[in-house]
This record gives sequence, structure tokens and C-alpha cells, in this order.
Amino acid sequence: MTVFSASPAPPPRPISRRRLLSGAAALAGGGMLLGCAPSASRSAADLSYWHLMTGGDGIVMAGLVDAVNAESLGFKATQTVLAWGPPYYTKLAMASAGGRAPDVAIMHASRIAGYAPGGLLEPWDVEELAEVGIHESDFPPLVWQKGMYDGKLYSIALDTHPFVLYYNTDHATKAGVTDALQTMKSPEEFTEVARKLQQVTGKHGLSYGYLGDGSQMWRLFYTLYRQMGAEMKLVPGQQAQVDEAAAVKTLTFVRSLLDDTIATRSGDGGTATSEFLHGESGMFFGGVWELPVLKESKLPFDARPIPTLFGTDAAYADSHTFVLPRQSKVSPERRRHVYRMVGEILKRSVKWAGAGHIPAYQPVVRSTEYQGLKPQSNYAGIPEYVNYDPDAWFGGAGSDFHKYFAENVQNVYLGSGDPAAGFEGFVKRLNVLLDRPQPV
Amino acid sequence: MSTYTLSRGFKKQTHKPGENPWSVSRIAALLVLVVLGATWLVPFAWAVLTSLKSEADAGASTISLNPPDGFSFEAYRKVLSAGDIPAWAWNSLITSVAITFITVATSALAGYAFSRVSFAGKRWLYAAIIAAIIIPPQLLIVPLFRQMLAFDLVDTYWGIILPQAFAPAMVLILKRFFDQIPVELEDAARVDGANRLRVFWSIVLPLSRPILAAVAIFVFIGAWNNFLWPFIVTTDAELMTLPVGLQTVKSAYGLQYAQNMASAILAALPLVVVFLFFQRHIIKGIATTGFGGQ
Amino acid sequence: MSTAIDTPPATTTPVVAEGKKQARRGETLSGWAFAAPFAVLFFLFLVVPALYGLYLSFTGETLTGSGGKLLGFGNYAEALQDPDMWHSLGNTLWFTLLSTVPLVVLSLAFALLVNLGLPGRWLWRLSFFLPYLLASTVVVMFWSWMYNPKLGLINGVLAEFGVAPVAWLQDPNVAMISVVVTTLWWTIGFNFLLYLAALQNIPEQQFEAAAIDGAGKWRQLFSIVIPQLAPTTALIVTLQILASLKVFDQIYMLTSGGPAGSTRSIVQYIYESGFTGYRFGYSSAISYLFFAIIVLVSLAQYRLINRRSAA
Repeated sequence: MTVFSASPAPPPRPISRRRLLSGAAALAGGGMLLGCAPSASRSAADLSYWHLMTGGDGIVMAGLVDAVNAESLGFKATQTVLAWGPPYYTKLAMASAGGRAPDVAIMHASRIAGYAPGGLLEPWDVEELAEVGIHESDFPPLVWQKGMYDGKLYSIALDTHPFVLYYNTDHATKAGVTDALQTMKSPEEFTEVARKLQQVTGKHGLSYGYLGDGSQMWRLFYTLYRQMGAEMKLVPGQQAQVDEAAAVKTLTFVRSLLDDTIATRSGDGGTATSEFLHGESGMFFGGVWELPVLKESKLPFDARPIPTLFGTDAAYADSHTFVLPRQSKVSPERRRHVYRMVGEILKRSVKWAGAGHIPAYQPVVRSTEYQGLKPQSNYAGIPEYVNYDPDAWFGGAGSDFHKYFAENVQNVYLGSGDPAAGFEGFVKRLNVLLDRPQPV
Repeated sequence: MSTYTLSRGFKKQTHKPGENPWSVSRIAALLVLVVLGATWLVPFAWAVLTSLKSEADAGASTISLNPPDGFSFEAYRKVLSAGDIPAWAWNSLITSVAITFITVATSALAGYAFSRVSFAGKRWLYAAIIAAIIIPPQLLIVPLFRQMLAFDLVDTYWGIILPQAFAPAMVLILKRFFDQIPVELEDAARVDGANRLRVFWSIVLPLSRPILAAVAIFVFIGAWNNFLWPFIVTTDAELMTLPVGLQTVKSAYGLQYAQNMASAILAALPLVVVFLFFQRHIIKGIATTGFGGQ
Repeated sequence: MSTAIDTPPATTTPVVAEGKKQARRGETLSGWAFAAPFAVLFFLFLVVPALYGLYLSFTGETLTGSGGKLLGFGNYAEALQDPDMWHSLGNTLWFTLLSTVPLVVLSLAFALLVNLGLPGRWLWRLSFFLPYLLASTVVVMFWSWMYNPKLGLINGVLAEFGVAPVAWLQDPNVAMISVVVTTLWWTIGFNFLLYLAALQNIPEQQFEAAAIDGAGKWRQLFSIVIPQLAPTTALIVTLQILASLKVFDQIYMLTSGGPAGSTRSIVQYIYESGFTGYRFGYSSAISYLFFAIIVLVSLAQYRLINRRSAA
């Protein structure tokens, strides 16, 4: 049985030079076809805008983009949404390295330190910003400062999104802790409130999901660590500057909460949210981005900043910011449109606040519309004392830094590891990275 | 002219005469096959079913073969009108056709040179090609990306095509096939004064149509489905191929399961349809080239 | 048309030494002309990056081009002490073992079953082979949906039998198995087809002779079929091991290498060190360490196969 039995040889054909030539012409034509890639023909009015918002955030952002496009300002922004975390930041860095980056992109403020030094971003022109109505005085100082690197402004914040405390108001009334929830100022008071709430729910007093999620572990740790006045500085070529005593104290306190009575010892994010939603706990540590899900559930709840338990006001937060990824050919016209677009989105950012975030643009925060938003306005003061992740090229949202924290500290949270040893392991890992040549 | 066979055909084999076609063991074997074959089709069936539901039904936590909202092509309509998938499919088509054409052309020419022409440096080049077969392209992503930056080919069709447009294994397969063609056929033409290119074009190529088709099929499937390199070299969503775009670009509106499955089905469809039409050719092509010249 | 070079056949007329030399030069020219289009691509997109990657592995080069300094063997020394590198390498070897065995054994079983000549042959061939035609992305979209902890078909069916839901891709003890199952579904068709082709090439007379000797079906299987398939099996095993070692797509898309790095493959680590971590030099060094392993595996297999065919 033969499959590919060759067909009988045809009689030799006369030289088919013409055929060859026409074939070559077709190839060359194909080459021209291939040469003109779709993006080459993009007009200056088409802005490409990358972000990583999906779900509730994504819907609000898409609405903002549509609203700005509808103004007929002479440009049209097209959004491209990429998967949150490493996939987004990897693609953005590669696009910038290739010089064909989008005209404007969203970046977490904590990621600027990994992008600006390597020339992957271009600075904003403060004077041009002023022309579209964006001034430094319109932003909380700490939030504006976070966008500065080497004396230049690399990012403009859209929001601040801190880690906060949600609580079930019904349970609080029953437990008689409504006032205590506002006034508590020490770890002992917090523990007492949690215990009282636990007696009401019969399950847990507090929900906090962290299992397998380094970012969640870090958010609570860093909030409390900074409340002790402790700092963390990561300078390449040097050892990490940390306050080990404060770190151990923080970890010990967190672990004391995860005792299977106050809070479950091993909860992941989904479990914690669902526990709080079903009234099986009285308090919930979560990001403001959890707000839409909680609101949808009609649960009687409120929110406030994480109480200052160790003397100094502090709150872990990050910001979604606008950046200009490096492009090898910049169209000045398109750039002007980008400034305009960012200005227009900022002015509409009260919509963004609907998703829980605190707008960075203060005229919006001062508006009655925002002040009327509850519980958003309860935590609107956080940007005055916000704590971003320590600057490092390997740090920031969804980075290796959070992953290394999880690798070393998860078993401390789980109760099986020693706080001092866990934190030392983390610092050791940081020192390995700091010892390496900075790749950006 | 069955001398130039590629072998490994598929015989129509049935049970041998004198054997009971419905013995217990044969029925048991058939049952096993039915179960396995059905199992293998489940992921397809489940995806198709989901794609025909409404988003609300697709996101319901019970398995339902008879969803309250019924079945419709709504998810397909939405996905197609969003426009990304047709654009990515077009990119996939252009790049895969170009990769296939260039690979087949260059491999045939080189395979012929290795088979027929004794030229200085031949042995050296041949050894390099054989050695290259074990280099996994995955290991070259970093230097290749760097190179593409230098050539200014990142985010271009050529950037997707060129690093995929040659295949050492295919050169070997074609060389072996050409080796089987009696050289006398060519000698006659060459006595008449035909040059090598003409001999290759008018005698060798027509004899090699089946193997060229086999190589083309194999290369096309690989190029159409390839993920890693197009993923590395494209950052512009408009230039992505189907597999890369589907993986990289997300919907701002969150997970929509019916639309997600509709996209997957649409992406799978072209090759599946082609396969249903050319099943025999494709299967033979892969069985022939599958060993990659080993 | 510079490629059209006339070369008179060497055998037609006796030629003087000078003519012979000229003919040889003509052959060389024409040989290279034929090989050139391939050779240029081969050189530019395989030889150059392979050598450039080797060079990069001795430097601190980065995505942004900021660290081109020569580091000697620094990257290699670091890689050998990098727990993530070893973890990824271990995962890769584990995946290779877990996937190669069923992909060889089951594909043979499937091919034997289909080759029995039962009704519906084309249908079985279709259902086993069809997944191989899908892009990894599509495969992963199908299977992420199958594995979905709340809405997926697998947990849905298990729930019918009262089995608690399994976190197929989120549980570090299960994730690798889930990846292997998906891989099996996706790629078994290829090996299956190669086996099926080989089965059909076993000469009919051998079975007839065995039948005359009174050998039963199972005896025939073990004394004729499997030994006859030995060369095919050797090649399939070789190809499968090399393919499994290079795994990236389905893992990257199903689990991103998680949970807690429990499924991250070495190719993914190369990708992440280079593009997510910006460290081109370091990434290249890991590539070359991994390449050394591939060469060793290939050599070992080459020797094994050659010894067997010599025996």
C-alpha cells in the first residue's frame, strides 16, 4: 500500500522562466503587503491606551473612556486590557523596550521604580499638564511625590487604593462595639472588639484571607509595621534597612489574630470575602476594591481606615497612575491628545470612586457628589499619610517582592513558623536581589 | 511509480476472514473504544454547549443540558462583532501562509542541493543542520528578541514569520525523498542542456508534490498554532495571531463564559474544518513528517 | 535569476584538469545557490541567536540594554545556587516523567484498539487526533473551563456523586496532575497516529505464520507486534521526552506556574527571568544550562537506540 506514490513524471516542460519571475514578483508583492502593518497607518487621532482593569473596575474604566471619546475632543482612545499582574507588566516593559508602546498606560505607583530608571517611561511635562488643568496642588503631596523619580514626574495618579477595615454594622450594634470600632487605639482594644464580635456571630470575629496570596499578607503586615514608625529601605548594593523588632512584633500580633477563633488560621481571599458576606464574621480586612462586591450583597456594613493600633497613622496603599511608556517615534499631536485625555478622565474620576478607590484629583474629592458617597468618604483621609511599597526594581504590585514575602512568612501566619526566622528569611532573599546588579 | 513511496500508509484493515466479527472480546474492545472516544470529545462538547448558552446560564453553578434561556448564537455574534477575532485570524492566516511557503521553498531547494549537488562546505553545513535539530527554539527567545529589536522587526509580520520560516528537519525529510528519485531522470534532461534549476523545477518538483504537501501541512499546523514566539514578538494587540490575542487580551467586562467558549470554538474552527475535509491527507502528512527526519 | 547556473553534467565528455576544476567550482556555486535561502535564514535566526545567547550568558545584559558588562561565569554560578531554578528544573523533570509514560503507553493502547478494524474507525481516529490540531490557547480555554472549581464540568459531575469540589489548578498537590491530564488529552493524537502508521506496516505474513504456530492474540501482541514496534517506540519516546522537557504553553496559561511555583517549568523560568525580571544575561545562562541537559538526554537516547538496533 503506497500513500505518496509519486505521480508519473510529466514530459519536461519548456523553461518556465516567466513563471519563476511571476512567482518572484508575487513574493515581492507579498513582501510589500506584509511590510505595511496595520499600526503603521494609525492616525494621530487614535490613541492606544493599555490598562489591567477587569470586572467592576473594568466596566467603570470602559465607561470613562467612552465618556471622554463622546466629547469629540479630536481624538479617540482605544483601550487594550491585559491580564493583571506579571503578564501586564511584562508586556508593557517589552513594548517600551521595543519602542512601540501604547500612547498611554496605567501603572501601579509601586511599579514606577522598576520602570523609570531603565528609560522605559517618559516624564510628563508639568507645564503641558497645567494647560489641561492638572496641577501639583490638586493632588495629596505624598501621592504626587510618588510619581517623581530623579526630579522628574513619571506618573499621574488616578486614585489611591488602600487596605481598609470593613465591619458589619448589625453585628457591631449587637456586640455593643459601635463606638469602640471608632475609638480603638491599641492591639488589646482591637482584640477585645474582635472577641465580642465573635461571640455575636458564633463563628469568627474577623475575616482575613491571605493563603497563597503574598500581596494580601504584605498589605496587613506593612500597614501595622509602619504604624510602629518602622521603615523599610531597599538600596541596591546595600543590605536591606529594616526594623526587625517591629517586624517580629507585627507578625506576632497578626498570628495572635489568626487563632481559629478571632479569625480562621488558614483562609484564602475567596473564603474570607464569602464569610464576611454571609454574616459569619464582624470585621473584614480588605482592599477598597472589594467594595463593589460587598455593596451588591446588601449587607449592612461600613468601612474605615485600619485603626492606628501602634501609635503612628499608617496605611498600605497603591495608586493606579497614568504613565507614558517610551516610544521610539513620538507624535507631538498624539501626545497632546494624551494630556487632554488624562485630564478629562481625572475630572470624571468620581465615577472611579464608585468602584471604591479614592480619587487622587482633589477637586473631585472635595465635590459634594464624592463627599456623599458612603463609605468611600470615610477613608478619604488616608492619602495624607499613605504608605507605598518600598521602592525597588523588583517591587510593587504583583511583583516578586510580594511573592518572596509569602514564601517566607506564610508559615508564620499559619502558626507553624517562627516570626523572627520567617522575617529573616525574607530579608535574606531581599539582600540577594539587592546584591545583584540592577537590571533597569 | 510506487518506487518513491513514503510508506506508512493506512490500510483499510478489517477482521480476517474466518474470524467471528462479533466475538465477545471484539465487543468488549468496541465498548472500550466508545467510552474512550466519547471521553475525548467531552471538552469540545462542553465548550460548544456553553458557547450556545446565555451568559447567565453559563455562569450558573449547576450543570444544565437544558438551560432556562435556551440556546442561541448570541455569544458568537457578540464575539465576532467585537472585531478582535477576525483581525487575529487574518494575522494568523497571513503569517502561517508565509511561513509555510518560505519553509517549503527553502527546504526543497536546500534538500535538493544536499541530495544532488556535491559542493564545497556541504558536509559542514549538513552537520550543522543535523546538530540544530536538537536546539529547542524556546531557548533562543531572549537573544532572538534582542535581535528583532536591532532589526526593527518587533511588532511586524516579518518579525513573526522569519524566525519560524525554516525547518532543519524538513530539509532532511526532503533530502531523503529526493535521494529516492532515480538520478537518470534528471541526467536525460541535463544532457539536453537543461540547467539545475530547470531540472529541479520541471522534473523533481512535480515528482515531489505529495511530500511537499505533507511538509506544508505539518508546517502550517505548527505555524497556525504556535504560541511562544508570536507571543514574545508582538505587543501590539492589532498584530497578534489568534492564539496570542486570545491569551493576552482580556475583556474589560470580566469573565464572560459563553463568549469565552465561543471565542475558543471560533479559533479552533478553521483547522478543524480543514481537517474534516482533508482528513486522509493530513493524517498521512503527519505520519510521514512526524518523526522529523529521524 | 542569478540562481540559474549552468553546470554541464560531469560524465558527458572527458575534460581536462582545468575543466574539471571549473566544473567543481560550478557545482559549488550551484549547490550554495540552492542552499542559500535556507542557509541565510538558518544562520540569521538560529546560529546567530544561539551564539549571541551564549555571549549574553556571560554578561549582565538587561531588557533595557543597561548592563552589558562581562561577568564571566557569574550568571552560571548564581543559577546553580538559585532555588527557583532548581525548583523549576525539578518540576520540568517531574512533568516529563508524568507525561511521557501515559503518552507512550496509552497512545499505543489506543492505536492497537483502533487497529482492530472495529466499526467507526474514522470516528475514533478523529476523536483521538482532533485535539492535536488545536492551539495551546484553545486547549487551555477548554480545560480551564472544565477545571473551574465552582462552574466546571468535572466538579459538577463529582458533586452529583457527592464528592467535594477539588481545586484542580489551585491546589499544589493536584495542579501538576491537572496539567498532565490536559497535556495527555491535547497531544496523545500525535503519538497515536505514529503508532497507527507503524502498526499498518507490520507484514501480514508474520501474523499468518504465528497463527499457524498456534499463537493466540495476546501472544501475538507480545511476541510480534510490540517487538516489531520497538524502533517506533524508541523514536516516540525520544520525541516525547524532548517535547515534554520544553513544556511552556499549557502550564503558563493554566496555572502561570503556580500555586507557589509548584508547576513552573524551566522554559517559563527562562521567560520570566528574561522578560518579567529584565535579566537577559541571567536568562541566557539558564537557557544554556538547560541546553546542556537536552544534549545529555539526546546523547543518551542516541546511544541507547543505536545499541539496540546494533544488537
